[in-house]
Amino acid sequence: MDNALLAGKNVIVQGITGSQGSFHTRAMVAAGTNIVAGTSPNKAGQNFEGIPVYQSIADLQQDFRVDASVIFVPAAFAKGAILEAINAKVPLIVCITEGVPIHDMLYVKQQTEKSSSRLIGPNSPGVLLPGVNKLGIVPASMGLPGTVGIVSRSGTLTYEAMAGLTERGIGQKYVIGIGGDPIRGTGFIDCLRLFNEDPEVDQILMIGEIGGTDEQQAARYIKESVSKPVYGYIAGHHAPEGVQLGHAGAILGSENESAGAKTALMKESGIITATSIVELVSLVK
Amino acid sequence: MNLLEYEAKLILKRHNIPTPNGSVVRRDSAAPTVPVVLKSQVPTGGRGKLGGIRIVTDQDEVISETISLLSHTIKDFTPQVILAEELLNIKKEFYLSILINRSEAKIQLVAHPQGGVEVEDNDTESFLTIDLDDTSPLVAGEQLAELYDLPEQTFALQDLVKNLLDCFVKNDATLIEINPLVLTAEDTLTAGDCKMTLDTAAAFRHPEWEFEEKSVETNFVSLDSEGTVATIANGAGLAMATVDAVADAGMRPANFLDIGGGANSDSVLAAFRRIMEYPKVQAIVINIFAGITRCDEVSKAIIIAQQQLPNLPPLYIRLAGTNYDEAKIILDEAGISLLPTLRQCLESAKQEVRHG
Repeated sequence: MDNALLAGKNVIVQGITGSQGSFHTRAMVAAGTNIVAGTSPNKAGQNFEGIPVYQSIADLQQDFRVDASVIFVPAAFAKGAILEAINAKVPLIVCITEGVPIHDMLYVKQQTEKSSSRLIGPNSPGVLLPGVNKLGIVPASMGLPGTVGIVSRSGTLTYEAMAGLTERGIGQKYVIGIGGDPIRGTGFIDCLRLFNEDPEVDQILMIGEIGGTDEQQAARYIKESVSKPVYGYIAGHHAPEGVQLGHAGAILGSENESAGAKTALMKESGIITATSIVELVSLVK
Repeated sequence: MNLLEYEAKLILKRHNIPTPNGSVVRRDSAAPTVPVVLKSQVPTGGRGKLGGIRIVTDQDEVISETISLLSHTIKDFTPQVILAEELLNIKKEFYLSILINRSEAKIQLVAHPQGGVEVEDNDTESFLTIDLDDTSPLVAGEQLAELYDLPEQTFALQDLVKNLLDCFVKNDATLIEINPLVLTAEDTLTAGDCKMTLDTAAAFRHPEWEFEEKSVETNFVSLDSEGTVATIANGAGLAMATVDAVADAGMRPANFLDIGGGANSDSVLAAFRRIMEYPKVQAIVINIFAGITRCDEVSKAIIIAQQQLPNLPPLYIRLAGTNYDEAKIILDEAGISLLPTLRQCLESAKQEVRHG
């Protein structure tokens, strides 16, 4: 994953005429995203506020080169939509859809790994490159162009961290929500590598949650490979064990999946940790 | 969604995975024939040690034991039904489960030659783990036969793995744990107990899903009945972060609440009513960062809640994101003030809790 992939200019929306798709297509256009076309199986040939609507990605590829697709289809159709984008060799696929069955994601993940496409999500708020590109639902008005890279599992915490930095006059180059589901496309490490290799990024913010062990792997990666300052926060320090908190990924299975255990390992790995989002934002210089 | 044992076993049976003969017993059911094992159907583990399993050999005691079990509470759960099963002649017990490894995105079998063990995170090395994406059920069955030292059961174990995988995928399960897997004196394998978790996200393709225990509520979680500060937020991450921030500021958070993306007046009002059940709550922190949620919808709900619930503790509200300007106008007109940051909400709430 590199800057050019996320800055891709020819963007399409799968599910452009649905309620979420249309609302956020307007917001993306308002933020300056170049949406060239959309798909909606039953509305081919129509247009959405001047954007042409096609039956399929293959159809619209007759007329447009596609750099990225943002998916808003309902959960039952998300697997099909992602696979369609993979088959059409769309370089970047951002899936906003929430509630995709985990067995669907197992299959999608295996197919993605065999393909040339990169998937972000599902259940992701997408990517915002303030002032450059908005792929998804991250509120662009809260961003400020700058040099911080933010990666987060939680949508709302992504916004919170970004808005907190903006309020302090600290801008961001990348704001990436990788999504809250247990199985997802892009993970922490992909984003950390991008931030570390991009010379314009000087500080990194990483926001995790209870459940799973992705943050531990990310911490090990940071210790071995990341030379820039990383600030980290894990949400859910007061989560009861075995209870799902909100979305699917956030369940505390065993002690090493807890916020405390993850935070401790992050600290050992050289990450500057906070115990609340308020503190996290205040740490960045 | 966690199933009760009898629900899980019905599904196993449908996929030709052997289970003990049994029937579901309610208060008005006919008494099963002895010898029988009566098992309390509660959505929690460790019931054996808490008196939730009884072996009955005297026919005259079956009814009284059933009724006693039905009113016996285990970790705050009272069973609605009892599972009555044949008494097995147990020769040996093993552990077997099938689950999704999140970080590797693979379906895995996990096995141990000893039944009744618990998968502890520090002890996974003693478990055999087999990736079912790379290993055929035939090979996996052979590996189990070796681990369990049951070469004569190789074919039965191959069938078991094949059926278990089929059951796992076709039911959108995220965990099936057979613990113990029993070898009887008659040399047959059967599922002694079963824990099954299904993926509620897949409910749209399972019209047959109708279970005793409806899906557990995930959006409102009680944390501390003596808590002094209640929280309302949107998005699981922000809701967890709000709880963390309250605790970090030296106060006791009472609850976790994620009002989600589709928050409307009804759901927000219901949330306020739940919060009113906490006697020591002196302040409510509302922290909304709207992406899909719309701030004006939330603010309308707050106004209705204030009108309908006159004893509502003071609210410390921070709104940001989609339709914030509209929300500000609505709340200004109602004389409800907003605070610009979560930090200020916490500082103000702290004053209230200290003086209250």
